Amino acid sequence: MYEKAKDLAEAYVARRLSRRAFIDRMAKLGIGAAAARWALSEATTRALAADYDWQKHKGKTVTLLLNKHPYTDAMIADLDSFKKLTGMDVKYDVFPEDVYFDKVTAALSSRSTQYDAFMTGAYQTWQYGPAGWLVDMNEYIGQAAPNYNWNDVLPNLRASTAWSGVPGAPLGGAGAKQWALPWGFELNSVSYNKRVFDKLGMTPPENLPDMKDKAAKITKDVDGMYGIGVRGSRSWATIHPGYLSGFTNYGAHDFEMVDGKLKAAMNSAAGKQFTELWVAMIKQSGPRNWSTYTWYEVGNDLGAGASGMIFDADILGYFMNGGTKEAGNIAYSAFAAKPGAKQPTPNVWIWSLAMNNFSKQKEAAWYWMQWATSQEHDLFGARKMDFVNPVRQSVWDDETFRDRIAKSYPGYLEQYEASAPGSKIYFTPQPLFFNLTTEWAASLQKMVADEVPVDEGLDQLAESVNRQLASAGLR
Amino acid sequence: MQRSSWPWRIFKALCLTAISLFFLFPILWVLLMSFQTNADILRVPPSPFFTPTLANYKALIAGELTGAGSTLQIAYMKNILNSFVLSACSVLLSLLLGVPAAYAFARYRFRLGENIAFTLLSFRFAPPLLVLLPLLLYFQELGLYDTYIGLIWVYQLITLPLILWIVRGYFEDVSPDIEHAYRIDGHSWLRSFLKIAVPLARPGIAAAALLAFIFAWNNFVFALILGSSDVQPVTVGALAFITASGIQYGQIAAGLVLSVIPTFVLALVMQRYLVEGLSLGAVKG
Repeated sequence: MYEKAKDLAEAYVARRLSRRAFIDRMAKLGIGAAAARWALSEATTRALAADYDWQKHKGKTVTLLLNKHPYTDAMIADLDSFKKLTGMDVKYDVFPEDVYFDKVTAALSSRSTQYDAFMTGAYQTWQYGPAGWLVDMNEYIGQAAPNYNWNDVLPNLRASTAWSGVPGAPLGGAGAKQWALPWGFELNSVSYNKRVFDKLGMTPPENLPDMKDKAAKITKDVDGMYGIGVRGSRSWATIHPGYLSGFTNYGAHDFEMVDGKLKAAMNSAAGKQFTELWVAMIKQSGPRNWSTYTWYEVGNDLGAGASGMIFDADILGYFMNGGTKEAGNIAYSAFAAKPGAKQPTPNVWIWSLAMNNFSKQKEAAWYWMQWATSQEHDLFGARKMDFVNPVRQSVWDDETFRDRIAKSYPGYLEQYEASAPGSKIYFTPQPLFFNLTTEWAASLQKMVADEVPVDEGLDQLAESVNRQLASAGLR
Repeated sequence: MQRSSWPWRIFKALCLTAISLFFLFPILWVLLMSFQTNADILRVPPSPFFTPTLANYKALIAGELTGAGSTLQIAYMKNILNSFVLSACSVLLSLLLGVPAAYAFARYRFRLGENIAFTLLSFRFAPPLLVLLPLLLYFQELGLYDTYIGLIWVYQLITLPLILWIVRGYFEDVSPDIEHAYRIDGHSWLRSFLKIAVPLARPGIAAAALLAFIFAWNNFVFALILGSSDVQPVTVGALAFITASGIQYGQIAAGLVLSVIPTFVLALVMQRYLVEGLSLGAVKG
């Protein structure tokens, strides 16, 4: 009986058996859910251990700095399998995002050896990597366990976390260093309140003019609800979700390269056309105190039924479909802002894992990073926890994961599949990213507050950005 | 004395009630929020009517926070204990060092005395961010990172100048003649300090200690950068309720109510000294 259960679990982990078939056969053997889970965990550990000395750093302890996030929760829930696989121990500090990067920056800039590995966003690596604080992961990826399968990680995400350090050079281009390993990511699309859309006889918006009209209709026709939730605080985080995704879809860019130097390009005709519509939409149907809106307010309003739709991270809509007033009413739709555009162009945020260059046990840290980004752990998180969006194609193809998402989050998979091909980081990598993007957000605030017309505002912004690039020697 | 008319008294009572409600409303609202679920709190429009729940307090005390789709471990009660240990020990150490120093500054004139006193005061107005990175480097070298001792030491930047400068004012208010008379009776300097000066300045010392405790309790940035989860106080721990999958407003409110209790109790106990002490310190005799 034990051997049969073991074989079945191994077949399932090796994907030779579907989940349904696995459950059926386990049931026929009279094996309960708890025993089946145990057999699965054993089989997963054995699959990982094949042909690789996972016990090389047995007895060592790696220390991690982590952000409070469902990805972290999934990792902690699965940590015993890592300890069992390697004989290593893991210590971690978890901080919420509001202060997390202060902690990371303080640790790295003081060359602290305290943390061996940590979570980071791809944008942050543009500062940390060239400063010499991170390890180029290319040297370790080449020594990974045989079943690590780095190429299974979505190519746009691999490229988006690699950069040569030359301002303006393309992400993942020649000479790029892999500053981080993608762990989980979010792309930007529309999450909307299906109950309200059905009541008004509306379909999800198809492009920005359509979104503007539908948002206006919701604001006008539904009591106590405004049309569209987007971020507006004076922060780089206002630019990177819906705004940059739509901006790119209109054919606009943040910078262009002129004679090998960066030049601000946000005031192009396409950029002005998009921003004009965007600002008008917010003024007409955005939240009343839009200029204070961050991830939290945008999400809360959708979940509480205060907004009809959001153009933000798909996983924000995912989280709002549970434990909120509108749980079960949230639906998802891919979104290409420009009428007639070939495909959506969502900018992405990638939570990634990076290695501290000052760590005194880099290889041990790599063992943890390798495990945390492995297909086995990704599958665990995606099937049983909220480890969305997974970064591996094999996980997106996994029947169990797809069943779970299709059942509880109708339309999410379709939204993802339509959005994914065009999803990547659309910002031009350069070291002044945070300052310049925050100024961009401040400029948007002025436009929404009617302090400056859109075209003039973007011209002033481009002029100021060029000045700062010049004084930093980048122009 | 002329008695005021009843319409005037009613008007005064109404005004007082309105002002009290205005100032107490945020506290009352937080208290109400702590008994609501997140869905109730985020209702549009907000409503003061709801079915009360103790779930937020239970989650904090049990250390398990059930959010959208998963259960998170939290250590909020440990954070409160950490805050208490850090604040209480910091104030005690500052009293031990600061009260004799305040006495010396008040009673004696010595070389560079005012410069030293001013340097200590400057710790209060120097921005913490200015010193944090160098401190972090030193703390890591000395093994003080993520320790109670390290944080209590750095909290002296907050509590010591406060105690020193407030208590100095009280010692200056007390006439030295009583101490002189006591010394003429053959008592030592130390006895006159302990038996005469300290008891006379007790209201001021109590007020300064309470203020220093509140300032230490409210500190955020030192503990964030110089400590990790083992020594995190409540100000840093409270951020655990802000996650990517949403803000747990109910638990934040319950956490706030719980975290106010120690300071509130301390303030109640020392209220008499606080009012007396503050008013004495404000008027130099």
